[in-house]
Amino acid sequence: MTASLLEVNDLCISRAGHEVVSGVSFALQPGSDTAVIGPNGAGKSTLVQALVGLLPHQGGTIRLLGHTLPRSGRLPREVRDQVAYLPQKLLLDGRFPLSVSEFVRLGCSPCCNHRKAVPAALERLQVSHLRRRLLSELSGGELQRVLLAFCTVHPRKLLVFDEPRTGLDPQAAVQLQELLQQLRLQEGLTILQITHDLSMVRRSSDWVLCLNRALCCQGPPEHTLSREELERLYGRDYVLYEHSHHH
Amino acid sequence: MAPELISSLSLWQEPFMQRALIGGVISGILGGWVGSIAVLRQLSFFAEALGQASLLGISLALLVGLSPPVLLWPFALGFAWLLRELLKRSSLSADALLSLMCSGALALSVVLLSSLPGARLSLQQLLFGDILGIAWADLLPLTLLLVVTLAYGVTSRRAQILISVDPVLARSRGVAVETHRLILLGLLALVVAASIKAVGVLLISGFVVIPACVARLLSRSFNVYVLLAAAIGALSAVVGLFGSAVFNQPSGPMVVLVQALLFVVALLAGRWVGQTTTAASVDRAR
Repeated sequence: MTASLLEVNDLCISRAGHEVVSGVSFALQPGSDTAVIGPNGAGKSTLVQALVGLLPHQGGTIRLLGHTLPRSGRLPREVRDQVAYLPQKLLLDGRFPLSVSEFVRLGCSPCCNHRKAVPAALERLQVSHLRRRLLSELSGGELQRVLLAFCTVHPRKLLVFDEPRTGLDPQAAVQLQELLQQLRLQEGLTILQITHDLSMVRRSSDWVLCLNRALCCQGPPEHTLSREELERLYGRDYVLYEHSHHH
Repeated sequence: MAPELISSLSLWQEPFMQRALIGGVISGILGGWVGSIAVLRQLSFFAEALGQASLLGISLALLVGLSPPVLLWPFALGFAWLLRELLKRSSLSADALLSLMCSGALALSVVLLSSLPGARLSLQQLLFGDILGIAWADLLPLTLLLVVTLAYGVTSRRAQILISVDPVLARSRGVAVETHRLILLGLLALVVAASIKAVGVLLISGFVVIPACVARLLSRSFNVYVLLAAAIGALSAVVGLFGSAVFNQPSGPMVVLVQALLFVVALLAGRWVGQTTTAASVDRAR
């Protein structure tokens, strides 16, 4: 049995005096692809932000890459360098004067040789041709690839995404998922992603966390995406909708 | 026109013109750098509010019998901090709150100035600047501010970009977002206070914002954008000062007028460059 990359025990997170995540426990194995699913307002973004040190937690423990995170949430430098987090959407405005290669270079750690690392990351994500384009000129699919290049320009162990396929057309969403799987296999990355795309979870993820403030269930997709579990997570109306949608 | 031009050229040998030139170039570089970041963070109206509040700082200094520059810098810092706290705590939108504070400060300063026994400063100089009145003593704090600002700009480059792209992304990469925001607001307040003498209260926001807008139209990388904004700030100060001497006009409007003209040129050039780039991309795609 390999040691877990991330271990969460009885985690409780409050925001503005209200408990948003309650008693959550799970572990991520190295090289796994884990999906966090649940209705809006279930605490998914809060949970992953606490895991990467963006939010404090009030109860329980988070052990990431062998380090126990302080309640205040700040990641130690040696842990932060091995974890990449991408928020749901970037707040980029119109003509933001930043080229793709400049942006990807910002993902380098101080010890990394950016002259080699940036072109290699752009090549790996098949976006070398975009290196001189402005970040704000990219399409949704192109931007997601460039963000992945930013995340992986420095070798990381854990990638955490908050709904990476939001706003992408179905083709771009599939391509992005294929790239993620490729990165996972080639670089041994562990992936944790929030998503609403249950068909993608069925195809690609090997572990699913069903969250609605507390964990309703967790396990491989074939068990957690059953009709009964989804009904428990989303309510009866959602399952009726999915049923009528497929027929 | 020719004799006026010759006499204005000979003016450059005068110490007051040399001081004005040095002061103008330093203020231009400062305004260009701080403006380039402020525009990316959508703080343009913040600069406007700080400019108008500076008049209140000057009025208060005169009321208590202090030299305006002595009170202006700490007053600008305090006002910036107050604005930030109000923006954090108020349920009002940022533009409404800034408008309220801006108008309130301006109204109070006009009432204070008019109630002062025997006005000791020309309102025109306060509103539109008097760059020729810069003394050698004014250049020392301005130079110190330039050194501090440029050192901070170079060392915080990565943080500035990441915060401008997305504050949450920046925090996930270990950037102390709130600290950098506070430092930037402080520097913006000091640059506004330091540049009031050159361009005046009414035009200070244009002085800070327009070079960044020009640079933004012409830049395709962050480094070029910041350097170009600082260069445009300095160049427009020199040309504006020259125009002020030739046409015997207040310095502030002349500097900002040069910046506005550069913006129109950049707009036309940007369209031309955009069309050329698009055509070249289409050619490459073929």
